[in-house]
Amino acid sequence: MSDSQILVAKDIRKSFQIGDREVGVLHGAHLSLNRGERLCMMGASGAGKSTFLHILGLLERPTEGEVLIDGQDGWSLGNTQRASLRNRTLGFVFQFYHLLPELNALENVVLPARIAASHGDSPLTLQEATARAKQSLEKFGLENRMDHRPSQLSGGEQQRVAIARALLLDPPVLIADEPTGNLDTATGGRVLELLLKEQEERGLSMILVTHDPRIAEACDRVMAMQDGQIQSDTGVEIPH
Amino acid sequence: MYQSFLSWRFLTARRINWVGIIGVFVGVTALILILSIMSGFLDQQRRMVRGTLSHIVIEPSPLPHIDGEPLPKSAKPLLSAVLEDERVEAACAQLSWFALLIQGGRGSAYSASRLSDTTSAKLVGVQVVGVDISDEFRTTELRAALELPPEGMSFGHVPVDDPDNPFAAPPGEDSGGPWAWCIVGQQLAIVHGLHRGSEINLGTMVPDPMTGEVRQSNRKYLVAGTFRTGENESDLGRIYVDRAELHDFLATGRDYSQVLVKLHDYEADGEVIAKELSSTLAAKRLLRSADMNEVKTWEQYRRNILGAIENEKVLMAIMLSLVLVVAGFSVFAILTMMVAEKRRDIGILSALGGTRSGTLWIFLLIGFWDALLGATAGAVAGVLGATYIDPIERAISEFFGVQIFDRNVYLFDHIPAVVDPVSVAAIVLGAFICTLLFAAIPAWRASRLNPLEALRYE
Repeated sequence: MSDSQILVAKDIRKSFQIGDREVGVLHGAHLSLNRGERLCMMGASGAGKSTFLHILGLLERPTEGEVLIDGQDGWSLGNTQRASLRNRTLGFVFQFYHLLPELNALENVVLPARIAASHGDSPLTLQEATARAKQSLEKFGLENRMDHRPSQLSGGEQQRVAIARALLLDPPVLIADEPTGNLDTATGGRVLELLLKEQEERGLSMILVTHDPRIAEACDRVMAMQDGQIQSDTGVEIPH
Repeated sequence: MYQSFLSWRFLTARRINWVGIIGVFVGVTALILILSIMSGFLDQQRRMVRGTLSHIVIEPSPLPHIDGEPLPKSAKPLLSAVLEDERVEAACAQLSWFALLIQGGRGSAYSASRLSDTTSAKLVGVQVVGVDISDEFRTTELRAALELPPEGMSFGHVPVDDPDNPFAAPPGEDSGGPWAWCIVGQQLAIVHGLHRGSEINLGTMVPDPMTGEVRQSNRKYLVAGTFRTGENESDLGRIYVDRAELHDFLATGRDYSQVLVKLHDYEADGEVIAKELSSTLAAKRLLRSADMNEVKTWEQYRRNILGAIENEKVLMAIMLSLVLVVAGFSVFAILTMMVAEKRRDIGILSALGGTRSGTLWIFLLIGFWDALLGATAGAVAGVLGATYIDPIERAISEFFGVQIFDRNVYLFDHIPAVVDPVSVAAIVLGAFICTLLFAAIPAWRASRLNPLEALRYE
């Protein structure tokens, strides 16, 4: 793994036990993500994109293979250390926003800082995190929506809150799983624009899963998945 | 800690969580209230039982010493020996026997109810207790029992003319013969329509100390007034007369049955003193043996009745603890439902860096808040309720027009309640342990969930 690479996945295999049958979902997928790179992952439903993404995001353990984040093998760590690494280095944006319904927009954005504090390695105090969250929400045009619950926000507003939450702790890697998939075209376009702008400004590395070829055009690299394997990768660099 | 923050938000966001809190609240309140009232009853009962006795009861064996020498026939040497102990405040001798209360002559015509009567096959048995009134007053609570009972309890009270000398003939009252005056229990007077000057016949059978043959004996007495100890057994079935008079009537060998002893500080070392007195008196040959339980504390003497109430209290506490178990179940059910609902949110927290133990703590803390809010409010309500149970009962009785607590039946002028801080603390602690144990099961399940299932297939 070179210094320019922030995330490397080597020979990732994943299979699920369904009854007596073992069903393979990933069959030796590789991936390397450079710092500041915008990688688009495409593929039909059932191609294994989400599973691969969850393995890269240290949410699901692979049957085989390793995931290196900033040189650290995420799956060799214990549960708590892995959770801490995920908290500090990975920001998630989901298709269905996944905000906590009991918290208002501001509280949802500050949540990663609270969790970081519980790991004892928070880069921000709660006050600093709240100030930064307010700044982000204002920047995203949600200054009047801070104390609104998710149910009181539109889909586009919820996704902007989710983006602010993912960016709060300045993680080096952003994982976005069809971030516009649940939005109408116009709103989705604005959200995507915001996401790409933030990624560029902050110099983040981003893996973006999408079905939309127009979105893929905005990425540095496009990776296509089929039947649990990477079928094509524009400028792919196979890790050694 | 994000766990406490989120647990509080999860708790307050759903009204259903109040069911768990209210369950704990009701359980704690009920336990404190009922145990306080049971303790109050026990306390009152102890006071009443002790009232007719004293701290220590000495009942010398009727048998002679092993060498055949009989125990002293007079109470005097025993009383002197007991009073020599500087820890003893007072002592009195009592001669106690049973008698049948039979219709008398003069005054009994006023009685609405007949006493022992062959026409109705009704027997009225009483315990006749002969006392030395001044010693008795110093040792037991009999003097206070002659006073006018508290409001609501005074029905049937017949005041003696001179409470300091209750067996003296009231001024202007002619006994109409050589008959002595007695004082009777207030309930006995009410039930049989006795009043001042009522004439009663006490009929009894006494074994002759010399021949052992049983002979019948009867004597007339006049009612001087009533006493009320609050102990039903005494107030319904006891008559006090002068001990010398009773000894003369019964013509028994020994002029006493028991000696009651009042100590300066019974609570400190009552049982120790009882044991030491037993040894000392046996050594002086005033008792048959130090090992024959001739000397007992009043609690040992009334172990059965006190033990029964104590058992009742413990059983009640165990049964009522089930209320806490039910409250725990409601917390368990609500949390189980919440864990199922929150599967997706648990997944989100994992994605944001939350751990399994973090998830466990969130749901365990919801149980903790349930316990904290429910038990604290329950403790306050229980203590306040127990403290003001009497006015509360009166208000409820008045509101509904029914008497919940019949003060005549219970022989108490108020509902007794004793709030024991240790019991309250134990109940609160029990509520916490119970709720947390029940919360731990869904919390553990939540921590074992694979939250990705929810994120993946939404």
